[in-house]
Amino acid sequence: MSPSGEVLTSISSALAVALVLLACVELGDAAAAVGVYRLIQYDLAGAPLGSRAAALNHHAAALPLPAGADLSRSALVAPLLDLPLAFLREYLADKKHLGGLLILLPTNHTDDKGQVKGVLTELEKLLVHEQVSYPVYFAFHDDSFDNVLADIRKIASSGQPASATTGGYKLVVPSAEPRKVSSPTISNIQGWLPGLKGEGDTEQLPTIAIVANYDTFGAAPALSVGSDSNGSGVVALLEIARLFSRLYSNPKTRGKYNILFGLTSGGPYNYNGTSKWLRSFDQRVRESIDYAICLNSVGSWSNDLWMHVSKPPENPYIKQIFEEFSDVSKEMGVSVGIKHKKINVSNPRVAWEHEQFSRFRVTALTLSEMSSPPEFLESTGGLHDTRESTDVESVIRTVRLVSESLARHIYGLKGRNIDVFAENSSLAINPHYIRSWLDLLSQTPRVAPFLQKNDPFIEALRKELSGHTADVHVQNDALDGMFTFYDATKATLNVYQVASVTFDLLFLLVLGSYLIVLFCFLVITTRGVDDLINIFRRPPSSRKLKGA
Amino acid sequence: MTVFHFLNCAFLTFGPHVVYYSATPLSEYDTIGTSVKAAAVYLGTALVKLVCLATLLKVPENDSFDPYQELMKVFIGFIDVAGLYFALTQLTHRNISQNHKFQAVGLGWAFADSVLHRLAPLWIGARGLEFTWEYIFQGLEANANLVMTLSLAALGSLMWLRKNKPRTLVPIIYACALLLATMPSITSYLRRSLEWQTPKVVGFELFSSLIMAFISWQLFSACQRPM
Repeated sequence: MSPSGEVLTSISSALAVALVLLACVELGDAAAAVGVYRLIQYDLAGAPLGSRAAALNHHAAALPLPAGADLSRSALVAPLLDLPLAFLREYLADKKHLGGLLILLPTNHTDDKGQVKGVLTELEKLLVHEQVSYPVYFAFHDDSFDNVLADIRKIASSGQPASATTGGYKLVVPSAEPRKVSSPTISNIQGWLPGLKGEGDTEQLPTIAIVANYDTFGAAPALSVGSDSNGSGVVALLEIARLFSRLYSNPKTRGKYNILFGLTSGGPYNYNGTSKWLRSFDQRVRESIDYAICLNSVGSWSNDLWMHVSKPPENPYIKQIFEEFSDVSKEMGVSVGIKHKKINVSNPRVAWEHEQFSRFRVTALTLSEMSSPPEFLESTGGLHDTRESTDVESVIRTVRLVSESLARHIYGLKGRNIDVFAENSSLAINPHYIRSWLDLLSQTPRVAPFLQKNDPFIEALRKELSGHTADVHVQNDALDGMFTFYDATKATLNVYQVASVTFDLLFLLVLGSYLIVLFCFLVITTRGVDDLINIFRRPPSSRKLKGA
Repeated sequence: MTVFHFLNCAFLTFGPHVVYYSATPLSEYDTIGTSVKAAAVYLGTALVKLVCLATLLKVPENDSFDPYQELMKVFIGFIDVAGLYFALTQLTHRNISQNHKFQAVGLGWAFADSVLHRLAPLWIGARGLEFTWEYIFQGLEANANLVMTLSLAALGSLMWLRKNKPRTLVPIIYACALLLATMPSITSYLRRSLEWQTPKVVGFELFSSLIMAFISWQLFSACQRPM
């Protein structure tokens, strides 16, 4: 390479470095950059729902609004408890346009837990089923927002709405157009604990299935951690798998039942994953399932747990299972109720996971703290469903109830008061295990379309299950085409303090007069007053005017 | 709107230099060549200063005021004075009077300083959406710096170019020049050690620059008078 070529390359590389540095500097000059979580955007059977935009670039406005304020070019910042739902409902019903909406979620639920939960549930119900044409974001309400809010209110109280002429704050989310999530997958994870076949026992062993769906759905996909729905069920399932794997590891205590553990996905979408999972089984395997126990939302009950079935309670099978549960529950001092809901095959809505089993003519039941079936896309681990609303004790009680009654069923200990999983024994329930898994689940958003096939979380579940059971298998399948999801669930919000145009004009005026005064002063001191007058008398050269 | 702000700040930072050049007789005698040469000398001086700073100073771990390091900085700051000396005495200027020479050199010097230290931050920062007072203060600082550089150049030309000056004034001239040369260190002391806020520091700079300009002017005109 010639020397001049070398110089050129070095210059161009230096230029490139400078440009990269410039780009970096330009990105990080906001007053505050906050992580924000976008309202879900999805199409349900072609109907557009949720927030249909992601990019935000508007002046901030805060409640209370000045009378007659036009919000179509402002981003409304509202702490959750200050946001009147009636106001929002009116805006949604009238299809009035907002520049954007930023909802601040309280960070500590300690003061008014119940109220926050209620409002969040309402809000979620409102937003998820509506088409919102502007970007809606959620953020956690921290101290930095208090100052911003106070300032916005101060500006608003001066009577003028926020706009380019009054300065104030500008909220910017630089975001590209949200794109469709291409072919969302659902991953079902299963593991077996094979039972012990007696000698000469040629027939297949009966199977008991324990199932919990692990994915969530909520207004903000990146915040839908679903500790109770259905993180608690997943944790309970893992603990039951751990307990029975200890029993089954010893041939003497290996039962005459296979136990099948299933962590299913697609729960919020009418248990789509469960249906796909069941279909993937061989007919004989499906027929060998004696009954299935589905665990759903078992993390915050104190005294009453409900057993939901689709067969009438008089059915001998159901009766037997219910009796086993109630025996154990009586010993534990809690009550288990039974609720019967017929399934309607022509109705696409599947409210409970066990209904998918029932559609395949497999006896199944759901254990849940909810006494009535949830509506579509409700109680699926939304915004309010955080670690604080779930307690480890409830999960432990559920684990004890299920595993104790299962053990009595498997080992034929009916009517005998034997505590198989007594405390301080080697088979005791491990609260630390439950707590750590519950903590992990409460930090992992699990909306199925945003979980990749090889997501670390799915891998972690697979690994954990394979630690306890054999033949662990992950089944990947496509989510049924009724849903289309859009990405951009998380973004960074830049809050800029901006000056108004008026200020800039005023500044220019002051600056101009300063430079003119300076010019006159310098001319007078160095050349005399006559010169100054002369300058203005004869046609001044254009250069001098520019300088002034 | 933000480009507007950027232009405002740029006017504040570089306007006075242009105004000074066009308002004073400098423009009539076309001394731009001298100013450009002075700017070139400034660039060389800045390079030497950078090398010295890099070799002699440690990287400060915190933002505190370390007397030894600051003393070193003051000494390195005197390289500026050496540069000015070079620009005033060694450069072959066209035949212009001493009176205009120091102004042209001071102007070129201050303009180069502004371009080197203030243009890049201005370009990057003032165009952003976020509003801060920072760049307005920076522009005011550029103004103060222009006045101080001109004063220092005036005193320098008295020290090095004028042979017959009143004996009684010589110590005062040297003292003032020393004070002007240490001014950057003084402001850095105020900023870091006394933790003055930017508006206060800029106010001090403007005020002191005006005082120093007045003193230098008086000294200059005193020396101008026939003995």
